[in-house]
Amino acid sequence: MAIYDGIFKTLGLSDWCATEDTGGPMTMAELLAQANNGGGEAAADAPAPATPLLETPFPSLDTLHKSCGSIPRTRDMTSAVEEGFLNVKDGLKVVLDPLTQPLSWLLDWSLSAFQATPWFIMIPLLMLLTYYASRSWSVLALVTGSFVFMAFIDHYNYAIQTLSIIFVCTIFCVALGVPIGIAMSKSNTMQRITIPILDMLQTLPTFVYLIPLIFLFSVTESKLYGIAIILYAIVPVIRLTDLGIRLVDKDVIEAADAFGMNSWQKLTGVQIPLALPNIMAGINQTIMMSLAMVVIASLVSAPGLGVLVLRGINNLELGVGLVSGFCIVLLAVLLDRSTKAALGRINASEK
Amino acid sequence: MKKLLVAATLGLAAPAAAYADCGEVSITEMNWASAAVVTNVSKFLMEQGYGCDVTVVPSSTVPSLASVSETGKPDIVTELWINGAPSYNALQEAGTIVTLGDVLSDGGVEGWWIPTYLVEAHPELATVEGVLANPELLDSRFHNCPDGWGCKNINAALAEAFDLEGNGFEVFQHGSGETMATSIAAAFENQEPWIGYYWAPTSVLGKYPMTLVDLGPHDPEVHACNADPECETAGKSSYPVGPVKTVVTTTFQEENPDIAAMMANVSFTNAQMGEVLAWQEANNASAEEAAVHFLSNNSDVWSGWISEEAKGKLAALIK
Repeated sequence: MAIYDGIFKTLGLSDWCATEDTGGPMTMAELLAQANNGGGEAAADAPAPATPLLETPFPSLDTLHKSCGSIPRTRDMTSAVEEGFLNVKDGLKVVLDPLTQPLSWLLDWSLSAFQATPWFIMIPLLMLLTYYASRSWSVLALVTGSFVFMAFIDHYNYAIQTLSIIFVCTIFCVALGVPIGIAMSKSNTMQRITIPILDMLQTLPTFVYLIPLIFLFSVTESKLYGIAIILYAIVPVIRLTDLGIRLVDKDVIEAADAFGMNSWQKLTGVQIPLALPNIMAGINQTIMMSLAMVVIASLVSAPGLGVLVLRGINNLELGVGLVSGFCIVLLAVLLDRSTKAALGRINASEK
Repeated sequence: MKKLLVAATLGLAAPAAAYADCGEVSITEMNWASAAVVTNVSKFLMEQGYGCDVTVVPSSTVPSLASVSETGKPDIVTELWINGAPSYNALQEAGTIVTLGDVLSDGGVEGWWIPTYLVEAHPELATVEGVLANPELLDSRFHNCPDGWGCKNINAALAEAFDLEGNGFEVFQHGSGETMATSIAAAFENQEPWIGYYWAPTSVLGKYPMTLVDLGPHDPEVHACNADPECETAGKSSYPVGPVKTVVTTTFQEENPDIAAMMANVSFTNAQMGEVLAWQEANNASAEEAAVHFLSNNSDVWSGWISEEAKGKLAALIK
């Protein structure tokens, strides 16, 4: 029959193989063959010429299935993965649902708080915060100008929603990422385990894990987009915390040891302060990356500027898409400049 | 099986000689299940029956028409849901495109759907009055289309007209079609309540049996107003059966009248399409395999679509 038949015969597996049929849905190639051979029956009766060596197919699941019915096809394998997920989902739900619930609460709470605050309080508040963090008049002017501009073109509400989501997600990223980064810097094993996971988080297409998550949580839960943003944006803060602590001068640590500091004192009194510029750079990158996820998050019903971008794409309303895209860039620039200015102040105070 | 494999390699080489009179044709493949079947069946008929060199362009409703209006390509846009394509009328009037016919002869069915197991347990949910009276049976949540879909405005207007929120429903707007489909699947896995907008024929409705909620009679004027975001007086009207067309560019029709004539005949009933999609779902098959399934089992249907000459070329498959 098929090309790998001989192997199964020599291995003495013919009986095991013969249990199930080797058929599958007819492929386009087989149909074409029928069409070009002037009748399916005639083709089936003709003696089979040998397959040329160069065209030997790779012994994949589908190819082997043709020789041996007991070997599952690739589509059986993928549906088994699906089955498997659906079987464990109830167990997963019991664990993951309560664990991630605070994220939903915080996102919803912050969204309503940001929106309930009227603009004439919110904008001065943001200005004050910017000035306190950056002590820079030019950054303050940029922030004020941007928000006044967005409010003027009626994008203020969307921008505030986006800002609120980024605010909550950044808090979670820092609260989780800094301890993970510290643990990584303390243990080489931990670092070896974590780095591949971080690489995966940055490359895994978001929908690959978001769609299974919808089976676990309700699609209406805000934590869905929260998780999507956090998993992607947490990476730089972990990496740079790890790097920052590892870069602390050995001599300084030696001096701390000489003073008889215990490891907690060393961490809080020496390593973290010295690593702070790196950690802040990580936080800055984390904020940038959560902004990058805003549009994708809107695909799972996150409010904000991403919704407008999607509307622009779906309806081919180029203007809507371009203007809201520009507002996202504006938010990115002002968040970047404010955190950079804050970082600059920390660096200056170190010297 | 080996014979078939070998024959397949021969078969793949053979059509190259057949590209004679037709030339290159581009056809859209919309990003949903029934469209993929239509495209694969059409591709096979054009390649094998007419000797065309077919390029499949993955696309969706709005971008495909935008591409046609800006660049004149792709040549053929099939499974075009007119209701969701605002630029269709303008292009039709400008003479850029020619409508060939209904690719789904029964039209597309849009509306509000409820899982059939819910209707069996609570028969009163089959009508909108029953739905409004029992929000607690439906998780008090209506699943609306994502922003940017034509149905979003219509559903928002209907929700206002039926006073969904006043009856205790929360209207949840999805961010994308993927999450909508997944929420249906998740509801079925957990046997939970679900009510929202969807459309048939789709693989989602092929896989999960759902019942259309009776929204009362259809009123074209009210419906047009509901669909228009500028129109403020929302009214009650069910969805009309949506025309699903195949269109080609005017230049393509002039240059390839026989291909256009064949594409005008390509038309599936909802029963035929539903059968193919259900088979595809049951066998975990690809769209191409689903097209092969249709082609190998329904030669009486598609042999009526093609010219005598093409019938001669495909005689081996016609039973």
